[in-house]
This record gives sequence, structure tokens and C-alpha cells, in this order.
Amino acid sequence: MSVLPEQALQLAPGYRLQWEEAQGMFVLLYPEGLIELNQSSAEILQVCDGTNKLADIVQALETKFETTGLEGDIINFLNIAIENGWLDQSA
Amino acid sequence: MAGSTKAPSPPRWLLAELTYACPLQCPYCSNPVDYANISEEISTEDWKRVLKQSRDMGAVQLGFSGGEPLVRKDLVELVDYSHELGYYTNLITSGYNMDEAKIVALKEAGLDHIQISLQASSKELNDFIAGTESFEHKKVVAKLIKKHGYPMVLCVVLHRQNIHQMKDILDMAIELGADFVELANTQYYGWAHHNRDQLMPTQEQLQTAEAIANEYQDTQKGKMKIYYVVPDYFEGRPKACMNGWGTTFLTIAPDGLALPCHSARQLPNFDCPNVRDHSISEIWNESTAFNYFRGDDWMKEPCKSCPEKDKDFGGCHCQAFLLTGDATNTDPVCDLSPLHHTVTDAIEKAAEPSQTVEQPLLFRNSKNSKQF
Repeated sequence: MSVLPEQALQLAPGYRLQWEEAQGMFVLLYPEGLIELNQSSAEILQVCDGTNKLADIVQALETKFETTGLEGDIINFLNIAIENGWLDQSA
Repeated sequence: MAGSTKAPSPPRWLLAELTYACPLQCPYCSNPVDYANISEEISTEDWKRVLKQSRDMGAVQLGFSGGEPLVRKDLVELVDYSHELGYYTNLITSGYNMDEAKIVALKEAGLDHIQISLQASSKELNDFIAGTESFEHKKVVAKLIKKHGYPMVLCVVLHRQNIHQMKDILDMAIELGADFVELANTQYYGWAHHNRDQLMPTQEQLQTAEAIANEYQDTQKGKMKIYYVVPDYFEGRPKACMNGWGTTFLTIAPDGLALPCHSARQLPNFDCPNVRDHSISEIWNESTAFNYFRGDDWMKEPCKSCPEKDKDFGGCHCQAFLLTGDATNTDPVCDLSPLHHTVTDAIEKAAEPSQTVEQPLLFRNSKNSKQF
């Protein structure tokens, strides 16, 4: 399964994104599991709020970091996140 | 003989074994065989101190386990406190004595997830292995867990007596609405080590089971995640036990003993520290027990010069002790170990058809525990 442009993205049920002060990083938490995220992965997941679709996510991050051309990297990450069950897509 | 001198990474995982008391009698229980002699549990205030100090150091995944954690009267209070501290809270339960009111109370306290165990896919076998009539109730509890919106892990420990039910177990998991299924082949510690000859499956049984697991992993993709945990006796290379000793996992036993892995209590002359006497920071950073297998200074050959030593860290030290009598030996699961025959002999011995008849399973209960 890969990212569908017309659907909004959000964390799957049971998943939680959390800043960890002791580690100085965001982690993704789920039943009996923990993924330590690099900065770009954490930035993408933070805007997957259940209303943003692919284009919104790209725009939000390109605006935040005052850059362009992020779409390819964002799609790659979203595909991995969807494949692993971290994100749900809904119309 | 301490390991590396560089500052250890902080704990990420805290396993809170709240009690050794359990209404079930599973003969593969990982609790110590002499648990009945370990009776004095630490208090609610002790647990809160442990939870706070561990969280301050960086622990974020928290498992409430046992024994049966529902036996502890302060479970809801501890879940509530842990949730406030920002842990992701997991309850690892048999489901025995769970009811809807407790499921709701735990949800309100902030419990994130429930792992419920079943022993088999049929009532007869489940209740035989559990040593307690529990099958129908467990299924009711599983449905209530889903009704109240928890993610649910269904855990079934696999062994020779139930591995033939693999397909039925997975169909049952689908019916119960499990989000994750953990099919964990028995690891031979504690009671399972004592009952090893009666529990160990044959190579053929394992191959069949793995093929079924793979088939369901494909058909359930995107719906139910299936973890099939291979038995290390059959692997040829050891597991990277605990993700490396004293790097990630911290277990606190019911009596307050702090353990780098939940089997470490059995290691002789190890002198594991107790949370009654020391802070978590002292225990994690300074204690001999937690430093013992950090880094690779402790290693002997064949590990010392092995190119894979940073991958598996020499395997499991508790297994090395159980099978070779010396925890600093290479885990004999590794086929490079000069003592690998202790594993292959066990596999062969278990395959002899006379085993099950001559020696019955020893069930985990206080009466049997007092023999040790």
C-alpha cells in the first residue's frame, strides 16, 4: 500500500508520537514497541493530524523550512510509514 | 570484571513485575522456579519511586507484568501515576479475574494497551496448559478489551503440545479482533527449562508452523500484525539478548530486585541490586550487575574475535549459564560455541518418543515451587 493523494493521514490507533527530553528526540510509541525518529521523520509525522493530505503535508513542511522539492522524500517516508502500519489513511 | 567505561545509554524499557502470584500454572512460566520462597513484595510507594526515577532517566515503554499483575490491588493507581509521567503503558495479563469495570477503570487511568495470553485454541488444551479453567473467560475479556478501544496484542506461547493448532490459533485471533498476534516459541528459562523435554517441538513441527505464520502474515497484511518468534535452539546464531545487556531494558522483580534481564536472578554470585537500597540511577550506571556484560571486555573465544560480536553481543548469558554452568561462555545456541552440543543433544533428547510418557509436565504453582 502507498500514499493516496486524496486521503488524509493520521497516526494509527494505539500509536503515539512523543518528545523525549532524556534522549533529545521524538519517539513513536505503540504496543510494546518504540521507534526513535530522526528529525525529518518526526517533522512529517507531526503534521499527519487526520485532516492534512499529501499536498498539505508537503506545503506545511516546505513553508516551515522555507524550501522546495521535499515531495519525493516525503512520499518515500509516508510509504514506509503506511507499509509499517504507523499511519492510517482516510477519505 | 566490569565492561566498557563509557557512560551507558539510558534505559528505554521498564518491565515492572508487580507480583509472582498468578492464578495460572503454565509449565513454561519464565518466573523463577523457586518463586514461592520470594514473598515480600515492595510497596506502592516503592513502585512510584521506581517509576519516577526510571522515567527521569529516559524509560518510556512500561510493561506491567508478573505473575498476574491484576492480583496487585494498586494496579489502577500505578497505571494512573505512570500515565501522568508520560509512559506508554502496557498491561501483560492472563485476563483471569478481569471484568468490564476493571477494563474501564484502567482505561480511565490512561492504560495504553493490553496484551492478553491464551494457551491454545481449544478449551480442553488451554485449560490443561493453564492448569486453570479460563478459556471461555479469556475470550470474553478479549472482546471487552476491543469494545473499550484498546489496541490488543494476543499472545500465545508455542510448544510441542499446542503448535499443531497454529492455524486455529490464528483464526481465533482474527475472530477476537486482535491488532497484533505474538506467537512466541517457548524460551527455555525458569519452568520451561525444567519442562524442556516435554515442551520442545520437532524441526518438522516448527517448519509447518512457520509456513502457516508466513501465509497469514501475507493474507492479514494491513489488518493484523503477526510476530512469529523463532526458537533460538534451532537457529545456529544466538539472539541479541535484551538488545545488549544494560543498554535498553530494566526489569524490577516483585521484591524490588533490579535485573538486566528477567532471568538474571538465577545467575549465581551476581548480587543484583535492590530498589529498597539504591536509586535507579545508581543501579543502572554504577552497579556491578548492570555493568558486568556491557561492552566486550568480558568476552572469551569464540566471541572475542568474532566479526558478529556487535550484532548478537555473545547471545544470552542466562542461557549460557543454564546450559554450560558459566554465564561468560558463548551462548551455546551459537554453532561456533565449543559447547553447542548441549543444544543439539537437548533437541535430540526431546525428539525421543518416550519423553512425554516417562516424565509429566511440572506445573507452575506454589507447592511445586517449594521443591526447589
